[in-house]
Amino acid sequence: MSEKVKNVIVVAVSVIALGVIAFGFSAEPASAPTAEDRVATLSASIRCPFCSGESLADSQASVAADYRALIAERVEAGATDTEIIEEFAANFGDSFILDTSTSVWSFALWVVPIAALVLGGAVLVLMKRSASRREAT
Amino acid sequence: MIALAGYVAIFVALGAAVGIVFVGIRTTRRGDKQALKLPVLIFLGASIASFVLLELAILSHDFSIAYVANNTSTTTPLIFLFAAGWAALEGSIVLWGLLLAVFTYLVWRGLDASDGLGVLALGVMGVVSIFWFGLMATAANPFAVCTQVANGFCADSSWWPLVSTAAPIEGVGPNPLLQNHILMAIHPPMLYVGFVGFTVPFSFAIAALWRKDSGRAWLDRTHRWSLVSWAFLAFGILLGGWWSYEVLGWGGYWAWDPVENAALLPWLAATAFIHSAVVQRKRGMLQAWNFILVITTFALTILGTFLTRSGVIASVHAFSQSTVGPLLLAFLVLIVIGSLALFAVRAPDIAQAPRLDSLSSREGYILANNLILTVFAFTVLFGTMYPLIVQAFSGDEVAVGRPFFDRAAVPLALLLLLVMGVGSISPWRVASAEVLWRRLRGAIASGLVGGALAVVVGVDSISVVITIALSVFVITAITLRFLDLARKRPESLPAASGKVFSNDLGYWGGQVAHVGLVLVAIALATTSGLAVRDTVALSRGDTAVVDGYCIEYLESFVRTEPHRVVQGVRIAVMDESCSTTKSELQPRINTYEGSSQPIGTPDVWTGWVDDVYVGIAGGNAERIELNVFVFPFQWLLWVGGFVMVAGGVIALGRKPLRRRGSLDDVEERESGKADV
Repeated sequence: MSEKVKNVIVVAVSVIALGVIAFGFSAEPASAPTAEDRVATLSASIRCPFCSGESLADSQASVAADYRALIAERVEAGATDTEIIEEFAANFGDSFILDTSTSVWSFALWVVPIAALVLGGAVLVLMKRSASRREAT
Repeated sequence: MIALAGYVAIFVALGAAVGIVFVGIRTTRRGDKQALKLPVLIFLGASIASFVLLELAILSHDFSIAYVANNTSTTTPLIFLFAAGWAALEGSIVLWGLLLAVFTYLVWRGLDASDGLGVLALGVMGVVSIFWFGLMATAANPFAVCTQVANGFCADSSWWPLVSTAAPIEGVGPNPLLQNHILMAIHPPMLYVGFVGFTVPFSFAIAALWRKDSGRAWLDRTHRWSLVSWAFLAFGILLGGWWSYEVLGWGGYWAWDPVENAALLPWLAATAFIHSAVVQRKRGMLQAWNFILVITTFALTILGTFLTRSGVIASVHAFSQSTVGPLLLAFLVLIVIGSLALFAVRAPDIAQAPRLDSLSSREGYILANNLILTVFAFTVLFGTMYPLIVQAFSGDEVAVGRPFFDRAAVPLALLLLLVMGVGSISPWRVASAEVLWRRLRGAIASGLVGGALAVVVGVDSISVVITIALSVFVITAITLRFLDLARKRPESLPAASGKVFSNDLGYWGGQVAHVGLVLVAIALATTSGLAVRDTVALSRGDTAVVDGYCIEYLESFVRTEPHRVVQGVRIAVMDESCSTTKSELQPRINTYEGSSQPIGTPDVWTGWVDDVYVGIAGGNAERIELNVFVFPFQWLLWVGGFVMVAGGVIALGRKPLRRRGSLDDVEERESGKADV
């Protein structure tokens, strides 16, 4: 098989596959999370009071099971995720909410690692530049 | 008696460690191996003695020793009795010391008769040993004798063994969580081998810095130590996840708990180190960076121990808290400041101008891998410490948990997969767009087809589709490269494949590890993105269908064992129509002697695709509430982990390196040329 034929086959197959993926996601948008999924996500986002640092989802303590049942009740009653999180925050304090995305402290938590990635990338590029410059002189 | 003998053994070991340091520094110029023989052998003997004596005390139920009284009982099964020797704080340091002594002996045995670098490295190991045995002699004495009994356990103890002792009639027994599954006896020692093992490359690095030895001697001599420690650490983390899956009823294997993070951190740094060490060996670059990475890895192992044992961050794993916290922190600070100061002084002597020809090259992609891994490690460290940082600055209390770590880790991991695929097949020096396209086009097409197939069979999670596409891309890239090299040889394909593989075990071992990581990535994606969770309440004889599996409640049972009461139910897992039984499961709730908190034990059926995971959520024997979880491709996680470790072991078989301009380099350059 010549190189050209190989290239054509690869590109054609790739385009078809990409089309299937794109069609799959546009035809059938991701299904909404079930009540159980939401309870699982929410209980992973709330720290279990009286357990050592575990989330409600992870803890085996009976108190955690009680709170999971409470979340399930609230989900059934039609409360939104944010409402449920806020109820727990109001009762126990912000330090029990593991999902920091709503907290003012969330900004620095995200900016610092991203800055580290950007800075590291810049160092790599500079390294390459200084190496090329030395070769040129 | 045992207490006194054990305490003496610890002091003898401590004295021998001081001797190793003293002799190591004094003879570093001549590098006299024989001069170290006596202190090393005494050190080894005394460490073995302290470990054996502790086990003896435990097995003979000598409850006059506080550690034995508070961590074991006469009804504890033998295997967990033995494991109690390292299951709690003081014992874990004894095992740590024993491993350190064994490694010290092995390093000593491998020295040349006249070996300046090696002798000094042993001296550094001696310094580290002094710290650990110093801990045992003071704040964490495993042989402290019990002086006061209250409520059936030892309430007060004396580090000085020659006092009148008091002993409870029966011991407390291990923490129920620690005796609920056999994996708990194996997982910590595996982690410890990994943790302690990094002392060796660290010590050689410090010795090399001290001697202004910027060459790669320290790397070559510790290559196996790094690989073995890395593999054990990976294995230990894997077993920890497996234990958590089998024992903690929530069906998870990773919770981003501070102590889990503490084990992941050195593993990430070590993974970066193993890769960047290859660049220094092959291309003579990154000398300074390798020193930094190995110091970081070692410091992170101490940080991990500190997080586990100090109780500074609330964690389920902080099984014991004591006064060793401040001492560990002091040691950590000393290590970091001391090593970095030495590095700063020596930096002008070792730093070399980079010789990076192109960012698109094997070394360029390994640098990108290092960047991603270090940022990954930094992010995990930052997230773990963030509650402390915020509290120190503002007094506010925040919590950082799974939502943050998952969101941060997924994009970094996907990026890592991409770089892994491209880097693995790139030539050194320059990987031109043409060569990359030629070597990757098949992989690109296969990856996209893999993603499309996932969509066709109904996967509706975009991150799972991306993970599958990237995974297929990486595996195909590696496989095609392998076949390409094999076809260029004159032999038949099977014979040629064997030759290609055995000619470069270092490289192909690495590729096997890459494939293992890819399998792990697929399992992580499917078990988190495609899991089905349900809770069902069943009376006897009732059935319920969860995600295509029919669950029937058969009967309940109660079993009394010497050390626990087991309450369980028998459950049948059947096909969707409730006609053919696939398996019978027995989820249980165990209540251990001396503990009021019952421990649930789920039971799992593993099929070709799914794991059906059943745990008792509540209810009673009449009407039982069950958690029924279905996790697709959960088994790939364990298989992938084992493949990864196997890759590390295969890479151990790498032939000793030739001088610079090695055959590998020539082969690589020629094959690169032939491709273009």
